[in-house]
Formats: sequence, C-alpha cells, structure tokens
Amino acid sequence: MRTALSVIRVVAALASVAVMAVWTPAAAADKVLPIGVLGPLSGGAAAYGLDTSRAAEMKADEINAAGGLKIGGDLYKIKLIVYDHKASAADAATAANKLLFQDKVKYIIGNTVGATCNAVQTVTEPQKVLFSFMCWGTKNLGPDKPYSFRSLLSQWEVAEPFYRWVKEKHPSIKRIAAISPNDTSGIDTNTAVVKYAKALGFEVVADEYYERGTKDFYPTLTKILALKPDLLDVAAAPAGEAGLILKQARELGFKGAKGWTAGVNPVPMISVAGKEAAEGVWTPANIDVTSEFVSPAVRKFGEAFVTRYKEVPGAIAIANYAAFDVITKAMVEAGSLDTDKVLAALTGRPHQTIWGPVVIGGKDTYGIDRQFLYPVVIAEIRDGKLVDLAQVAPIGLKK
Amino acid sequence: MSLSLLVQALLNGFGLAMAYVLVALGLTLIFSILEIINFAHGEFYMVGAFVAYLAFGVWGLPYVVALLAAIVCVAAAGVVAERLVFRHLCGKTLNAFIVSLGLLWVMQAAAQLVFGVQDKSVPSAFSGIVRFSGVVISVERLAVTLAAAALIVALYAFLEHTRTGRAMRATAQDADAAALLGVNIEAVSAFGFGVGCGLAGASGALLAPIFSVSPSMGELPVVKAFIIIIIGGMGSLPGAVLGGLLLGALEGVGTLFFSSAAVNLLGFLMVIAVLLLRPRGLLGGT
Repeated sequence: MRTALSVIRVVAALASVAVMAVWTPAAAADKVLPIGVLGPLSGGAAAYGLDTSRAAEMKADEINAAGGLKIGGDLYKIKLIVYDHKASAADAATAANKLLFQDKVKYIIGNTVGATCNAVQTVTEPQKVLFSFMCWGTKNLGPDKPYSFRSLLSQWEVAEPFYRWVKEKHPSIKRIAAISPNDTSGIDTNTAVVKYAKALGFEVVADEYYERGTKDFYPTLTKILALKPDLLDVAAAPAGEAGLILKQARELGFKGAKGWTAGVNPVPMISVAGKEAAEGVWTPANIDVTSEFVSPAVRKFGEAFVTRYKEVPGAIAIANYAAFDVITKAMVEAGSLDTDKVLAALTGRPHQTIWGPVVIGGKDTYGIDRQFLYPVVIAEIRDGKLVDLAQVAPIGLKK
Repeated sequence: MSLSLLVQALLNGFGLAMAYVLVALGLTLIFSILEIINFAHGEFYMVGAFVAYLAFGVWGLPYVVALLAAIVCVAAAGVVAERLVFRHLCGKTLNAFIVSLGLLWVMQAAAQLVFGVQDKSVPSAFSGIVRFSGVVISVERLAVTLAAAALIVALYAFLEHTRTGRAMRATAQDADAAALLGVNIEAVSAFGFGVGCGLAGASGALLAPIFSVSPSMGELPVVKAFIIIIIGGMGSLPGAVLGGLLLGALEGVGTLFFSSAAVNLLGFLMVIAVLLLRPRGLLGGT
C-alpha cells in the first residue's frame, strides 16, 4: 500500500512538473495574435488580393520565425486569418464581421478594391479596429475614420506630381484622354487626373469609363481617338486591361504619349500589351521589383516572393508588407495591443520601411494624417522594362 | 459624326460577334438536348483559351494545330462532364443550375491554381492592319470572324446533313420519340454536350491571341451568349447569328453616343423587349 502511495506521489510530482513546464515558459510563447487580411482572392481582381495576402503571409512568417512579437512582456505568434470577398462590398462586410466577432481580431492589415474598404469600415470603425488597406477611394480616409490607414500612394498623391512632370518635361502635350474602370477606384482616379490636369492647364478631351472584365476596347477607343488626344492615360486600369487598351489603341493607329497614372503591376501589363504597345508608357505609381532601380530591400523581397509564389509581386504587395511591418513594430513600441495606444505610436513620426522612410500624412487631402507618403518615382517603359526618369514629391510630402 | 467613324463602329461591333455566337450556339445546343442551362459554359471557353495559350504561346505549335487541340480537348472535357455530372441531372433544372455554378467555381479555381491569377498573353496569330478611307481593320480580327463563320457553317451542315446531326435534332425535339426510333439518347447527349463545349473552346482559342487569357475570362462571354440566345431564339442557329450581329451593332455604335455602362444597359433592355414582345426570340420556334 505504502509502495503504491509512493508511486502515486512520484507520478503526481512528475505530472505537476510537466504541467508547470508546459504552463510557464511556453505559455508566454504560445500567445496568439490573430490578424485579419481581406481581399479578392478569386475573380477578375484576384491578383490584387493574392498580392495582399501573400505579402502578409511573408511578413507574418518572418516575425514568427524570429520568435514572435514581444508586446508588454508577452510573446505573441501571429496567426493570419484570410478571407476572400471576391471584390464584392457585401461579401467584404460579411468577412469583416466574421473577423471581428468570430475570430476576435483587432487588426486588419490588407484589403484592396475601393468599395470593399468602405464596407469594411462600417464594421471596423465603431469597434476601434485598426484597418490598413490599399484601396483607392477619396472617402476611405477622413476624421470620421481615425482607425483607418492607406499604405499605398493613391491617385490623389500621384496624379498631381505626374502631370506636373509631364507639363515640365513635355510641353508639347496639351490634350489628355483618361480611361478607367467604372467603379469607385476608376472614378476617383479619373476625377484626380481631370482635376490636376485641368489645374495645370491641360485640356481633358475624354473622361471615359469601361466595365471591369471588358476585353474588347475597340468601340471605346474609336470614340476616344477620334478626339485626337496627345496623351492617352489608362489611369486606373488594372494590368491586364491596361495592356489590352494600349495594344488595341496601337492597332487603331494611336501614336501619341501614354500614361498609366494609377497602374501598379507593369510586368503582366507589358506581357499583355506587347513590347511595342507598352513602349514609352509613363507610370508614376509603379514598381518593378526585378529592376535595378528599386531599393535592395524591395529587390530582396521580390526575389523571395517569386521563389515562394512563382509570380512577380506588384506595388500592392510591397505596400502591405510595409504596413504589416510598421503596425507590428508600433504594437511592440506601444507595449500593448490596445488600438488607441498603437495608433499613438504610429502617427506623428516617420517610419523606416521596405520603401525607405515613410511619413503618415495626408491631412490636406483627407482632413487627417492616415496616408502613407513616400516619393513618387516616374518611370518609363523602354524595351519591356521600367526605367526610372525622375523622383517627384507628392504635395503632402513636400510640405 | 463622320461616315468613316460610323463604319468603324459597326465593324468594331461585328468584328468579334461571330466568336460570341459560337459560345451561344454551344450553350443553346446543350440546352436543346439536355434541357440544362450550363452556367459553367464560359469556363469551357476559358479552357479553350488556355489550351491555345499552351499549344501556340508556350509550346510554339502552329496556330491551326492549337485551335484544333482546343476544340478536341474542350469537347472531351465536355463529354467527361456530361458523363460524370450532367447526365444524372437531365430534366432537373434547379439541381443542374446549382451544380453548373459549382462547376464554374471549381474550374476557375483549378485554372487559378495551375496558371496563377495574372493575365497571360498569347502572341498574335496574324499580324497586319488594313486601312481604307479612315477605317481600320485588324487582319487578326478579320481572321477570327472568318474562322468563326466557317465553324458556324460547318455546324449547320453537320446538324442538317449527317445522321448524328439529325439524331441530335430529333433528341432535341422529342427525346422519347427519338429513342423509340432507335436513337441512342445517352450517346447523343454526351456527343451534343461535347460539341457544345467544343464550340466554346474554339471561341476561346480564337480570341486568345486578341485578348489576354485569365481564369475569370469566361464570365463576360457567357453573359453575351445568354443575351444572343434570348434575342435570337433558344435553339435557333440563324437566330443566334442574328442575335450576335444585333448585339455587336448595338455595342459598336452605342458606345459612340453613350457610356459603356449605358450600352450594357441597352443590351439588357433589348433582352427585356424581346422577352415581352416575342418571348421565343426573333427567330425561335414555337
């Protein structure tokens, strides 16, 4: 009997030691920080969503591989929760609700496609959830949305410096035609192009829209080219559609200058347009991660991305990677996961990112500093490659 | 507005209408025989485009070989889909509707996994531009129109003048009566589904060098195909051609005066008008 009791005591002691071993050091390392990511992962805009989620995945894996985030004495491993909203505002709102109330996230880092951001914000703002995105929409940022950030330069940041550069360097260009998809992103982009081009003294001869998914641009281009523009701006067209527009414009005999104010993925654009049609396109919002003109950090990220996903990342991927970096560092600095404290750590100072130094500004345009600002690089496509021509500061950054 | 601009607009509209008519004919053929509306029909168009992309764009085979490969591969995929899935849903409209939607997503996701999401470019099969009096015609678009028209004529000849074609028409009119007369309904259904999908595959392969190729590229052609069928009349080959030409003219000329959203609206208004005034379509049977 005594022997049996001794055995029980030893087993109990060993068990308690084992339990302690599990509870104490590992418990701190096992804390999980759920972070939401949204985007169109299927359908016509899937390239944007996949760039978004893959960049988040890469940054989260880097952080976890380095041991996690040390926030206020606790060590957190990041758990990404990714939902596909298929570029639908209704699905985006549903996904945001799931993230907040089912998955209990306090941070959503990454989303694209204008109208879906508005839908997500109706859920995140009342709950004080920090939401960083790459959507292009004027109404995505404002004093009524203090927990929302845009991590990618939008059309409002790039259109003015781009057309200022065109006016300075190519004074013979007088007549502008802009074409964009018929949705929030497209309308905002054309609005910005028209506003700044007119303010700089250009004549805007066409302000055209097409439905996303369109493949045959002959009808629309016939109308535009009859107006004899000096510069055709495929403003907010995504890579595939921008490539088709340029290819078909060339077929229809257009020989003028070409711009892509808000284009963000040049490699597939050039592939679709063909070298001849893409030749000479000026692009102020672009990035080619394989180019010798980008920073070593961006090039390294691009190489890792291509190795892992077999596709070349666009500016959206870089922007979300940078946002993930900045926000997670702000959590560490704040020593808290409280979004108000993280917000305080985020704003009011520059951040070192994969882009280089980034300032969170935009108050003049949006009434609140929630826009990541970094210099606009104007590049030209030459022989199928991006060649940097100039660096121009957005108005907000100049100030 | 100059006359040349109007002619250009009409040519723009007619230019690719025949390729969309091929998609519409495949859809209406399948509906006639199996009484199934295949919402995944646009994905068979997409598969045809990817076959052309691989055969012509990647492996460098002659374009005609790529086109034939697309027709055969997509027709074979159609036969497999009919044998495995749609045969069991014949006459069950709602079930077939749900299953075809599921197939649509499965095929899109599979293409996304295999080829990625970024648009793929297929080199031009024919180069050159013809210009006259201010009007521009792309040789490539002209070739697509002629090839699509040739396929439509071949389909018409097949349905009218071959034993299998007559069996397909008989099955479409009355499957029970056709069976009593010795028609193998199961074989005809599988073959008809294959031919219908093959037509979509041909259209995808024809348009691949003009457009880019992507997993979601089938969404728009299938919408156009539905409009063409409703305007022309379900089951009518001449009706589909007429519907395609009318839609092409509307889109080509309409874009000169209205925004693209308004032109799309006009297409649907035309569908509503046809459904209200002549529900069987302009050339549809009773």
